[in-house]
Amino acid sequence: MDRKDNNIPKELLVLMKQKEDTSEKISAPSRTFMQDARRTFFKNKLAVASMIVLVIIILMSFTGPGMNEHGIDDQDLSVAKMPARVPVLEDISWLGFSGVLSDTFKGDTADHATQNAFSRYKSDEEFIDIKVLDEGDGTKNSAEVKATYHIYEAKDMEDTYFWLGTDTLGRDQWTRLWEGTTVSLLIAFVAAIISLLIGVAYGGIAGYYGGKVDDVLMRILEVLVGIPNLVIILLMMLVLDPGITSIVVALTITGWTGMARIVRGEIMKQKNQEYVLAARTLGQTNRNVIMRHLLPNISGIIIINTMFNIPDAIFFEAFLSFIGLGITPPEASLGTLINTGFDNIMLYQYMLVFPAILISVIMIAFNLIGDGLRDAFDPKMHK
Amino acid sequence: MVRYILRRVMYMLVTLFIIATLSFFLMKMLPGSPLNAEDKLSEQQQAIVLEKYGLNDPVPVQYVKYIGGLLQGDLGISFAFSNTPVTDILMDRIGPSAQLGAQALVVGTILGVLLGLIAAISHNGFLDYTSTVIAVLGTSIPNFVFAGLLQFVFAAQLEWFPVALWGDFKHTILPTIALMIFPMATAARFVRTEMVEVLGSNFITTARAKGVSEPGIVFKHGLRNALIPLVTVIGPMAVSLMTGSMVIEQIFAIPGIGEQFVNSVMVNDYPTIMGTTLLFAALFITIILIIDLLYGLIDPRIRISGGDS
Amino acid sequence: MKLKNWALLLALGLLLTVLAACGGDTEESKPAEEGEQVLNFVNGDTIPTMDPSLATDQYAFQFLGSTMEGLYRLDENAQPVEGIATDHEVSDDATTWTFHLREGATWSNGDPVTAHDFVYAWQRAVDPDTGSEYGPYMMEDVIKNAKEVNTGEVEVEELGVRAEGDYTLVVELEQPVPYFESLTTFGTFLPLNQEFVEEQGDDFATSTDTLLFNGPFTLENWTSTANEWDLVKNEDYWDAETVQLDRINHVVVKDATTQVRLYEEGSVDRAGLSSDLVDQYSTHDDYNVTPEATVFYLKMNQTSNEALANDNIRKAISRAFDKEGIVNQILNNGSIVANGLVPKDFVTLPETNEDFRDVNGDLVTYDIEAAQEYWENGLEELGTDTVEIELLGDDSETAKLMSEFLANQLSTNLPGLSVKIKQVPFEQRLDLDTDMDYDLQVSGWGPDYLDPNTFLNLFVTDGGNNKMGYSNSEYDALIDEAGKELAADNVARYENFLEAEKILFEDAAIAPIYQRAQAQLISPKVEGVIRNPFGADYEYKWASVNSAE
Repeated sequence: MDRKDNNIPKELLVLMKQKEDTSEKISAPSRTFMQDARRTFFKNKLAVASMIVLVIIILMSFTGPGMNEHGIDDQDLSVAKMPARVPVLEDISWLGFSGVLSDTFKGDTADHATQNAFSRYKSDEEFIDIKVLDEGDGTKNSAEVKATYHIYEAKDMEDTYFWLGTDTLGRDQWTRLWEGTTVSLLIAFVAAIISLLIGVAYGGIAGYYGGKVDDVLMRILEVLVGIPNLVIILLMMLVLDPGITSIVVALTITGWTGMARIVRGEIMKQKNQEYVLAARTLGQTNRNVIMRHLLPNISGIIIINTMFNIPDAIFFEAFLSFIGLGITPPEASLGTLINTGFDNIMLYQYMLVFPAILISVIMIAFNLIGDGLRDAFDPKMHK
Repeated sequence: MVRYILRRVMYMLVTLFIIATLSFFLMKMLPGSPLNAEDKLSEQQQAIVLEKYGLNDPVPVQYVKYIGGLLQGDLGISFAFSNTPVTDILMDRIGPSAQLGAQALVVGTILGVLLGLIAAISHNGFLDYTSTVIAVLGTSIPNFVFAGLLQFVFAAQLEWFPVALWGDFKHTILPTIALMIFPMATAARFVRTEMVEVLGSNFITTARAKGVSEPGIVFKHGLRNALIPLVTVIGPMAVSLMTGSMVIEQIFAIPGIGEQFVNSVMVNDYPTIMGTTLLFAALFITIILIIDLLYGLIDPRIRISGGDS
Repeated sequence: MKLKNWALLLALGLLLTVLAACGGDTEESKPAEEGEQVLNFVNGDTIPTMDPSLATDQYAFQFLGSTMEGLYRLDENAQPVEGIATDHEVSDDATTWTFHLREGATWSNGDPVTAHDFVYAWQRAVDPDTGSEYGPYMMEDVIKNAKEVNTGEVEVEELGVRAEGDYTLVVELEQPVPYFESLTTFGTFLPLNQEFVEEQGDDFATSTDTLLFNGPFTLENWTSTANEWDLVKNEDYWDAETVQLDRINHVVVKDATTQVRLYEEGSVDRAGLSSDLVDQYSTHDDYNVTPEATVFYLKMNQTSNEALANDNIRKAISRAFDKEGIVNQILNNGSIVANGLVPKDFVTLPETNEDFRDVNGDLVTYDIEAAQEYWENGLEELGTDTVEIELLGDDSETAKLMSEFLANQLSTNLPGLSVKIKQVPFEQRLDLDTDMDYDLQVSGWGPDYLDPNTFLNLFVTDGGNNKMGYSNSEYDALIDEAGKELAADNVARYENFLEAEKILFEDAAIAPIYQRAQAQLISPKVEGVIRNPFGADYEYKWASVNSAE
């Protein structure tokens, strides 16, 4: 036996303090499910970018119309169909904000084609730049020239800027675009929220009570789901007077069914879990069980579904306005603007381009946010 | 199984009956009648016209007659086309719609599966991002914007395809592309997600370890398993084709059911509106039924029992 | 690495599939044979019916006109020229017309066209069992007993039309009708083969197989829902040697932009232009403007809105919008400002030959100051300073723009006025019009025959197309007198019409907006197509394909 160890000075020996057992300790900060979801969501760059874009669009839809002096129904036929013109950007010709109209013209000779160009732009020769593309050989339409018409100068409006041009009645497109966005988003949000309320209530009741109640409610739902929703929406628009309220009503009539089905399914799954049983045993009322316990647990799926409902509503509104059953003028929505744009697509493409891009961006943003949220609420994706 | 199908078909018929009833009374609430120039008609004549359309009976009698007609496959006479039964109109119109729908569904799904496959194989690579972008654009951009764009660029500017109308195969290309973009995008997203999951699973690793070639893994083991759940999205795809047809047939001036429906709405041709609604509903319900049955057949985990489903 | 290659290969395959799909089929549809005269036209909609008694819309009358022959046919100056009738005599009291029909005209089943066919068709048109809209409308007060037959008071045989032998048709009129000759060119007055019609029963005129033709062309491949059909030269037509076209293909295209694209592509020979397209094509060699005799105006419903019952308010409204702007900017298709009801270049006064419009001049023009003065007075009389009205219009593209512009003009120029726009499909607007369920309405009227009466009898008290509560006994008396006592005295009739139109605008019953014109692209190879002021829009009998093109 080696007794060397005994040489340790006594003062070094300290009584071991009993510490808490750390092996079970979670070293990372504890997060609730919601916090985890938020973290996952914010890690998704596309979703975050979409969120930012969307916030900007929403802000613009409120402030945009006030950013210049033109009102939504300020008609002036003398400035109808003016192309887009933005200060500074007007010097970069390929952007399309330089306030010029240009087109190619054909003729038998270059002169003939030039004449065609002049008469197309009402003969303001000094404001038209001609660039000969093809001299031609005298046969029909062999020559081609490209004419650029400085319409702002021709109208003596060098100091005027219609940022996105004007429409056929001389109204400022910038103002109308953002007013239209407000209307489209308003319709979409209201329709989505109403659908959410009805859907959650309907699905919740069916799922929670089950049995006969569920049977009856689901049969009714099946009938509604049996008709493609666009058909119902069109029929409703026939019955109702055109306008924002009617569109919202038509959209909600079909919009809630998807939500109701999903909520019912989730509630069915959750209601047999222990925590619900516990709450019931403790004497909670049905109402409280649903509101306090079940709903918070399925809130994720509700939010995701709503996120996908909004672009659907935007699409349907635009579609209705597109075929002429939507918003009544002078109010505008993205759909009516696109509709007008299509009628002018051959000559004044700018009327279509801006609302078409904006609606696509909004739809894409909502879809990406929806995707992001779905991942965020999926525990498998939490890292 | 047979009992299950019978029960489902029963439900379908009841649903259709309810839809017919609802749309009938909805139409009765609306203004308008086949007499769009009443003032030129004397009262006796109005009575004759109303008689022809069976509109002079009390509403409940009209309803019974309508349902009676339905049972015999009679959808009434169109207001807009004099003396033409609605069934004739629908039969006339269904050809182009069916062809477009079928082409869009088949081509769209195949391309979608390929896209999804490529994305999954080059997981997080350039091709993955490209096909994801295509898929997001496909589901997001409104179809009328997309169709208009196709028409403007490929028909009006480049003149590769006819601008509109219905004729030979060339006429169907642009509308088919416009119509297939949604099924394609949906299928692509779906297949990608499923494939990524499948390719990461243990049995694939096992297969690799056993030396199965890459194509073998992708097609024999991966794709087969990833395709099964695709059946579930056929429903939304079918809906998108039906509603899409309304838009795309309008834009390309194709004489199909969708174009007919929108026009009937515009001219208050109620018998045709009701007939088309019923046709859409019937198609839709049938598709749902087929999907449910298919799903039961394909996926061994789901077995339909004779009693409750 | 291996996987990546696989992906590339797949991508390539994908690309190839798309390309293959794009490159497919290049087969062209039915090319014209050498020397064959073929034209391709678009039609704005399907033909709802080909039954002359039931036809009400422009497309039905168009194709009835091309495929059938009545007593007379309109020539390029809108004057009747011989058709089935070679000539006619009119009795001294101008109420009995005797038409001599040509022998040798046949139906497409070989039967001869006889006077009996006219008797049958006209009787059928007013027979209450037929349920015709235009029959009674066109024949009442014109052909003897038409009204009585239609209300069921007397048998159809009592109608004032009979056959004397196979080739003499005697028509008795209710009263002298100066424009009766031009009426006989109208679709409702076409003959029908009784045996064939009765054999077909309810199926009559629902498809090519259930139709008989006796006109310059036959209608092929048509059913009432068809989107494509052809007019084919009728070799059995009595004047077949005049007809040069072998075939005119038709296809339904509703959208103007699509029409133009098809035109550019060369697959159709004529396309309508909407206002924005005019900008682009007004310099085009094929650009054509065709004036029409159709007038558009605002109807002001005096029964629905207290304010509109006030004369001053109506006068203010009819002067408060910029018609030049509408014509030049919104329509932009050659339409002209209308300052009266009877259109320009429609009828001329007997004896002097002056244009009706020129004689009566501008009855109401755009004049903000006058409008505002009337407006102030009107508001004072009403004892209010704000007025709300609804503007009803069609939902076509131009109509929408027009409503927006009118609403904006009215509410800007008339302080205190707010205008709400209501847009509905055409059919619904007609329903609302019939129910008088509107305040202001943009409405239009094209003539049914060559006489001011077709416009001016619209607004007699309780008239079928009045539907706005306008009533002026003096106006009624003038129109009534023109139709009855003065029927034989054309000069005096026109005096009445001139006077009546003035009264209409003194009362500010309607607010005229514009007289329509149509801007089109017409291929230079289309020659000799006549544009009719009423009835069938186009006459193809004398048309041909210019082979130089």
